[in-house]
Amino acid sequence: MSDVDQQRQLSIASALEDATLTTSDVKFDYDPVAIMPDVRVMKIGGQSVMDRGRTALFPILEEIVANKDRFHMLLCCGGGTRARHIYAIGADLEMPTGVLAAMGGYVPMQNARMLQMLLAKHGGIFIDEDDFVKLPLYFQMGCLPIMTGMPPFSYWEKPGKNGRIPSNRTDAGVFLSAEFLGAPRAIFVKDENGLYEDDPKKNPKAKHIPRISAAELIERDLPDLVVERVVIDYLTRARFCKEIQIVNGTERGMLTQALEGEDVGTIIHA
Amino acid sequence: MRESLVNRDVVAQTDSPREYEIMPHVSLVSIGGRSIFDRGRSALMPIVDELAATRKKHPIVVGVGGGTRVRHTASIALDLGLPTGGIAQLIGAMEECNAVFLNALLAKHGSIQMPRDHFWELSMYIDNGMIPIVISVPPYHFWEPPPEVGVLPAHGSDFGLFMLAEVLGMKKIIFVKDQDGLFDRDPARHEGARHIEKATLAELKADMPPEVILDELLFSAWENARHVKRIQIVNGLTPGALTRALDGEDVGTVLTKESAS
Repeated sequence: MSDVDQQRQLSIASALEDATLTTSDVKFDYDPVAIMPDVRVMKIGGQSVMDRGRTALFPILEEIVANKDRFHMLLCCGGGTRARHIYAIGADLEMPTGVLAAMGGYVPMQNARMLQMLLAKHGGIFIDEDDFVKLPLYFQMGCLPIMTGMPPFSYWEKPGKNGRIPSNRTDAGVFLSAEFLGAPRAIFVKDENGLYEDDPKKNPKAKHIPRISAAELIERDLPDLVVERVVIDYLTRARFCKEIQIVNGTERGMLTQALEGEDVGTIIHA
Repeated sequence: MRESLVNRDVVAQTDSPREYEIMPHVSLVSIGGRSIFDRGRSALMPIVDELAATRKKHPIVVGVGGGTRVRHTASIALDLGLPTGGIAQLIGAMEECNAVFLNALLAKHGSIQMPRDHFWELSMYIDNGMIPIVISVPPYHFWEPPPEVGVLPAHGSDFGLFMLAEVLGMKKIIFVKDQDGLFDRDPARHEGARHIEKATLAELKADMPPEVILDELLFSAWENARHVKRIQIVNGLTPGALTRALDGEDVGTVLTKESAS
């Protein structure tokens, strides 16, 4: 042993100075502050909206524009079919999960750019991760900030237990945006009225679920879900975002009702 | 292409026992923040010398921890009530300072700071015998998920470096700390703490020490990982320990994904 280890670290006194951060039992009186709780964080579905083109998207944009002076809205885009194609090719090339996550991020970015071009004349502005801190400015200016729904985990996305599709995709990113901002609810705009007991696209008799708890949903152990599984998990531990609302953007007026706080579509609550 | 990605069967179809190894010949070395950097020159310079001396022999990528400034940042941020993602956003800056210090010390030996996700420049650096210094805290930033337990962001620098090694198909990670590896209890606080020389991940998980010096999430991520086979923790205050570990010797604590037999 050399004698350097006798030398003490140059340490800053703090509540965590000597805590073992790697154990989870750090005790701290923690009362988190909601950053921008009034922002309506919305996801525009990739496969369910963007990939269906003008028929699905334009009525949604009309509703967004009609509401733009009533609410501060953050629009986040999903990926959709091209992202699935990337995952399929990437998996075939034996790429690791992190590479798939990084590549999967390109598609929601494209979708966000498309949305921005269409909304430019109404104040649509494309923002990236680094612009997130400028949200107050954009809202002050009456802009409609538009970004990818994908969280920035990319190459750092954890491999899952089964398969290599990244677990945190655009649903997770949108949820986590809402949680960070302190919004009580994240709104997912899709092409169906929310959650069903089976995939309504494959089984037209599937029963609609208007409201369900995350715990109940986990208990049901459905083979298929309307949102990414991690979101259900995050919901149970979130501090602010205690509900996600899935609405049918192709049904006129439903999005506006959701913006007004009405319980339309399906609510999944903590 | 229309099938649901949240359907379990569809996801399981993408599983594979032979995932591509992107840079399997490279090892990752992590230099502790509190354990090494916060001790200043006397602790860090011998490690700098070892890295400089071994770089021609072993292709490595180096990461650093943030140390006491990270703890101070987190305690102030918690007291202010910043949300989890806000705390996560702040922490990386403190580590980056250590990365710059290390780069300044190693520059004449060919070190270079790799910006965030510029992974595809690594082969150029490695082929030219350079020492890339990478970011440690994963860039989850405002999107850091709410932690399963406690109040701190769960995805710290040990986890971030682990993921970087894993996604690039690296086999070996060496954590340089100020202890001879893992003990059944923190040896700085408990006399007679027992040193763990070797363990498999399963053995460690079955009997996890209460105060382990690596992020807990690292171990759960390792369970699902495909590439990292060996994680070694060595004492950077012991001259030569890092070099011996890079040479493949079993110094410190050697953790393996599967048992050697």
